[in-house]
This record gives sequence, C-alpha cells and structure tokens, in this order.
Amino acid sequence: MMEDITILELKNVRKVFGQIVALDSVSFTLKRGEIHGLLGGNGAGKTTLMNILYGLYRKDEGEILLRDKTVSIQGPRDAINQGIGMVHQHFLQIGSFTVLENIVLGTDVRNKYTMKMDQEAEKVLELCKRFGLNVKLNEIMSTLTVGARQKVEILKALYRGVDILILDEPTTNLTPQEVDALFESLRVMVNDGLSIVFITHKLREVLSVCDRITVLREGKNITTLDRKDASEEVFVRAMVGEKMNIENSIYFSTDKREKYQRDPSESAKFKLENVSLVSSDGISRLTDINLEVFSGEIVGVAGVAGNGQRVLAEVVTGVVPISSGKKFFLGDDISQMTNEDLLGSGFAYIPEDRLSDGFLPKASVAQNLILGQHRVKPYSDGRFINWKTVYAETTKHIQEYNIKTNGPADVGGNLSGGNIQRVMIARAFSMESQMLVAHNPTRGLDIPSMDFVYQKMLARCGAGYSTLLISEDLDELIRISDRIAVIYRGQILGILKREEFDKYAIGRLMSGIQLENQPVEENAVS
Amino acid sequence: MTIVKKILPYLLAVLASFVAAGIFISLMGFDVFKAYQTILFTSFRTPNGFIQTLLKFIPLVLLAFAFTIPLTAGKFNIGGEGQMMAGGIGAAAMGIMFADLPAILLLPLVIIGGVIAGAIWGFIPAWLLYKFNINEILTTVLFNFIAFFLIDLVATGPWRDPGAGHPTTIAIGKGGWLPLLVNNPPLHAGIILAVLVAIGVYIYTSRTTGGYELIATGANPRAAGVFGIKVKRMFVLSLVLAGGVAGLAGAFEVAGPQHRLIEGMQSNFLQLGLIIGLISRGNNGAVPFVAFLIAVLEVGASAMQRTMMIPVEMVFIVQALILLFVLLSDVVRRK
Repeated sequence: MMEDITILELKNVRKVFGQIVALDSVSFTLKRGEIHGLLGGNGAGKTTLMNILYGLYRKDEGEILLRDKTVSIQGPRDAINQGIGMVHQHFLQIGSFTVLENIVLGTDVRNKYTMKMDQEAEKVLELCKRFGLNVKLNEIMSTLTVGARQKVEILKALYRGVDILILDEPTTNLTPQEVDALFESLRVMVNDGLSIVFITHKLREVLSVCDRITVLREGKNITTLDRKDASEEVFVRAMVGEKMNIENSIYFSTDKREKYQRDPSESAKFKLENVSLVSSDGISRLTDINLEVFSGEIVGVAGVAGNGQRVLAEVVTGVVPISSGKKFFLGDDISQMTNEDLLGSGFAYIPEDRLSDGFLPKASVAQNLILGQHRVKPYSDGRFINWKTVYAETTKHIQEYNIKTNGPADVGGNLSGGNIQRVMIARAFSMESQMLVAHNPTRGLDIPSMDFVYQKMLARCGAGYSTLLISEDLDELIRISDRIAVIYRGQILGILKREEFDKYAIGRLMSGIQLENQPVEENAVS
Repeated sequence: MTIVKKILPYLLAVLASFVAAGIFISLMGFDVFKAYQTILFTSFRTPNGFIQTLLKFIPLVLLAFAFTIPLTAGKFNIGGEGQMMAGGIGAAAMGIMFADLPAILLLPLVIIGGVIAGAIWGFIPAWLLYKFNINEILTTVLFNFIAFFLIDLVATGPWRDPGAGHPTTIAIGKGGWLPLLVNNPPLHAGIILAVLVAIGVYIYTSRTTGGYELIATGANPRAAGVFGIKVKRMFVLSLVLAGGVAGLAGAFEVAGPQHRLIEGMQSNFLQLGLIIGLISRGNNGAVPFVAFLIAVLEVGASAMQRTMMIPVEMVFIVQALILLFVLLSDVVRRK
C-alpha cells in the first residue's frame, strides 16, 4: 500500500541532446509502495528521465535524492546496487541460456566452479511464488513467449534486491490476458513494499493500475495527480496540450465507428489465396494465408511481434516472392509481380523498421520522399527526375506532415526518429494508392501526429481505397480497423468483424488459442 | 553564401596542407616560396605547361570517376588501374588488327574497343559480386594484377616492337590516332571527350532516375530494395560503367600521346584517382575541379624537381595532406 514516505525524488532535472532540450527542469517524486504512472506521448521525455535515474544518461542539471540523500548514479550496476532496477522495452537476455541462468547472470553464484545453482534457484522460486510470476526456471529463454520473457526480466531485478522498479512500456507486445496478469503481480509487489514507476503512453492502463500519475509533455512536467482525484479528460488535456482538437480526434474518440457496409456483389480489391512462404533455409514463414481486403476497408492484422507480420507485409507488397498460392489485385493475378511493378501501380508501403527498410540516411529529405515513386509522374518521366516538382512537393509535405527539417535538401540522417516516421507517412500518403500496407505506422509519433495518421487512413476509406494495417498496438487496431485478422506463427488463426471486436478474444488468438467454432489443427510450425 | 560556406573548409584544408608541407620543405633547406611558385604557376605560365596539365587531367578525371561512380552506389572499385590497362589492350588490339582502316572507322573502333575491354574488366568482379557475393574490393584489386601481366604478354608477344627496349607494342594504324587540337605542343582531342564524360556523369547521377537509383542504393541498399530498386543490378551497372570510363582512359593513352601500348602507362593514376574521389567526397560534380587541381600539382611537381631538385614525392605529401585535412575538416565541423 502507498505510504506517505518519499523514497525517491528527482529535482529540476535537465537534459539536452545537441540542440534539443529533452528534459526541461523536470521533477518527480516516488513514494514507498506506490505504482506511479509516467504518462506522455512519444518524445515527451519519459524514458530519458528514467534512463537518467538508471544511470544510462548523465543529467546536465538537477538533483537525485534517494531516501533523502543526494546520490550520483554512475551506471546501471550502480543503480542496481542502490536498489533501482529497470525493465526496458527491449529485453536484454541471452536466448540460448535457461531462465535461471539469465536471472543469475552477472551476480555472484555461490558454487562458482561447479555452477550448481540450487540455492539460487530456491531464492528465485520463492520470488516467483511471492509475486505470482510463474515461469519454469529450466526452460530455454528463446522458446518463451514475450509475456514470460518479461517476467524473467522483472525477476532479474527482484533477484538483485531492488526496491524501486522502473518498467518502460511494459505492456507492448503483451496480450490483454498477459497485461491483466502483469498488473496483478505489480499490485502484489507494491503491497510488499516495492515502489514502481510505470512508463506508458496508454492512458487507460495508467488509470487502471496506477496510484499516482505524472504527465510529461515535450520534456516538461505538466501535472502530477492522484488517480482518484482526476478524470480521464484532465489527463488527456495534459498529454496533448491546448492545441489539439480532442472532440474531433480519433485517438480519444469513445463512440464506435459505423459498421463497414460492403456491397455484396463486389469482389475483393486485394486477395491472398492459400499463400505460403518457405524461406531459403527451409523454414515455413507463412502457412496457407487467406485474406481479402475490400475497397474502402481497413483490415487490421494483430499479433505478438515476430509471428510473421513482416513477411506478410513483404509478401503483399511483392518485396519477397511467395512460395505457393496466389495474389490478386483488382481481379488480376499478381502472384509473379515484384515490388517494382506494384509500387508503380497503386501500392504504397510503410515498412515497420524505418531505419533499415524505409529510409536513406545519406540522401536528402526530397530524395527520401520520392523513393519507390521516382519512376512515375509527376516526379519523373521515366528517364529524368523533375527535381523542380519534387522540391515543390517536398516543401508542401514538410508543411502538411509537420516534418521538422531545414528543408528539402537537408540530409535525412539529421532527422529524429519521429520525423523520419513522418517522412515515411508523407511518402505513403503523397500518392493516391489503391492499396496501402502500413506496418506499425504510428510508432514513434506523438498523439496529435498519430491522430493525423488515423484521419488520413479514414479519408482513404471514403475514397474507396483499401488499407492493410499491421500493428502491435491492439488499441490502434480496434480503433480504426473494419476487420481484424490475428496472425500466430505465420498462420491466420481468425478474422473478426468490427461488431465482434473483443480484446480478450483477440488476445486468445494472439497466444495461439483458436476460436471454439473452428476446427483445431496441429500447428505446422513448432 | 552557401557555396562559399561549402568551399571554405576545402580552401582552408588546402592552405593548411601547404603550410604543413612548407615546414618540411624549409627544413630540407629549400626555398619554400620559390618551390610553391613553381608548383602552382607552371601550369599557367606557358602554353606548354597548360597543355601538360590538360594531358594529365584526362586520365585523372576518368580514373576518379571510375572510383566515384561505384561509390555512389556504395561499392568500392579499386580496380581502375586494371580497367584502364584492359582498355589500353582493347584499344591497341583494334588499332593493330585493323591498322589499314580509314580514320572514320578505325578511331571509333579503337575508342569503343577500349571502353568495352574496360567494361568487361569491371563486369567480371561485378558478376562475382552479383552471383556469389564476393567482395568487390578484393576482386577489383586482384584484377589489376591480371591486367598488368596481360599487358606484359601483349607487349612482349606477337605485337612486340622489337626496336623498343621496354615492353611496348608496335604502333597502331594512323587512322586510330586521336586528332590534335593543338599541334605544338601536341594536345589530342581526348580532352573534349573527357569533358563530355564529366558532364554526362554529372547529369546521369543528379538528374536521371537511373542515377537516383544509384544514389538510393548507396544510401541504404536494404531500403532501396524494399522500394523496388534492384540493388544488385545497380552494383553491376556501377562497376561496368566505372570499367568503361577507366577503359576510355586507357584508350586515350594509346590513341593519344603514345600511339602504342606501353607497359607502365597506368602510372600512379589509380592512387591519384582515389585521392581525387575522396577529396570530392564522392560528389561527381566536384570531381573535375579537384582532378584539375591535382593535375596542376602534378605538373608543378615535375617542374619543381627539374628546376630546384626538390624530390617530386614532396607533392605526394602535399596531396596526402590535403586529403587528411579535408577529412579532418569533416570531424571539426561535426563538433
């Protein structure tokens, strides 16, 4: 239970990266036994603040008081020694080690030479039991689900005896069921006297689990409130500022979108028929995918990351050829067509990994914006590129998509992650495209920008264009999809219509449990 | 303003390297100002000096392009020398085999023969890269050695000039000689073609879709591939183009000043080409200007050696220092 003892205090912390002020005099207090939500959109400075506390960054100004004493934290090891643990969004684990080995890694093992770890195992088991974190200690790390791997990460911190635990976006990639289990464990921990900082951009999560909530925006403290003292609206306003029009936003809209009406006589705009993909090393990546996207429809693809979403996107856009099955677009068989053909004839693609798959860091912003469309009008007549038009268009896009850059000729590598994502978005939406494949399109964007992307996507529906939205953010999918297909180990386990959307049903499919009314098959991939 | 801002670090780099090298020269006991006067003004004082500079400029600019064109696509061609020699062999072969043809036929044949032979020398490493993913740096370097021995074979074999004391072929047919623009001292028409190539390369890389695809490939091959650019083909294309350009340089050496294939005609153009390419930082628009500067230094260097007995290597040091300072100015600017 929350006690009125301040265990940690950050005072007027400031951090500057180059010319960007990431944190501007931010203060934060943590009480013993509370779950403190650190809420804000992308780029608000939440993770930067906690990275300073964990010793990953040096602060430029400010003070850290731990148990009323000023401390300076030199690095993660130092932070752990002082009782501060952090679970990152990306886990730092060794896939070929067992769970137990991962947990004790880096600590002193009693039997150094025999590596018999019975005592350590006992201690870990005790922690598992106490906090309801059920994992089998002898399993190999790489075989575990994301939810289980996160439990290991939390156990790692608890095993080292921390009493302050920082969780950075812990619900990313968890199914709703796993989220519930995580929240229960967190409750047990704080009842046991731990203090938890819960970093997230998801408002509903902090409202359901946190005792107090601090909102950051653009590197500044906006407010800190008790959960019970505040309404949802106060937090919404604090997160997005005064400028954004919340009433018309899709991000915060509570009323459901209208049910998608399909003309029964119409055939699908895009169709995958029994598509399978076997990679060159003989591993089956996609198995028997059947998926249709109709005109004016947004079809979402849900799934825990790494279940074949990326190859699915690349198969649809023709980046990788399919091994068997057929692809149709506007009634034509396009199974043999490559991305070169498809991008020139009505396809647009926002790849997931913007830095490696979508961006040219050494090229200019203008050169980046025409990638994939550099052979078609108005940018090019096929042989020569019309740079005048390109620059004029780029200048317009920089305005419309709010890309922070010095101009069309600026080197792409100078842009921040969120701005690079805006370039991806601008590129995909700048040309009319019958079929858009968007993979995590809002990753790294702040809330107004996310909303902008949703507006753009819905505008496409009105124009009769189709969208395949592959996302790890289940809220996002539920918000704007007309149907949601759930992918698990390269198979589509179920497709739900808007009226059937249910977080828990989707969550079951995401963890591989099929719907009751469908025949249960053995998984081809194991 | 922006142009001045862009060029300023280079000017400072050149100045700094001259100052640094000047310290060495004066330590060696020579007159620094006279030495630099010779280096900088030989090219402009006499028509002969200027023509010598242009003759140096031709192979330098072409060999620099042989390096920067693949660099645009992110590939390193260290085989410009071999491609140039192959081009020389191709040109000489045409010129000797069809020696009796009239100029209107033989001259194009000699030049095209050189370009194609150079392109083939660029294509083989490119194909090995395309097919087996063999590193192009390694293969292009190794192909230099093959070309070197091939010249030996040709120049000491059936086409050997028995009168020469050095491995040399007999002269190519008169029809294959490049016409002279200036008779005394001789300046051959290759300079016009070299300038045309420079303009062509610049337009190709900065204005065409093909050039854009080269740049995109060099900037991020994975992203370029995802967005429909066939990157492996771009690698091949860039190396073949580079080979062709270097081959042209070889053809000019045969059809221009020498009228025959001579072992050693490749001189140190490869290294200078790399230096020019690196000083230009791969910018194809800057290459001709940097190449001209280096040509001026080269001509000035031999004059300096003749008149002041300062070893020509001193100019090498200056060139290397310019490169170092240009690279350093990058680091300084980032700070």
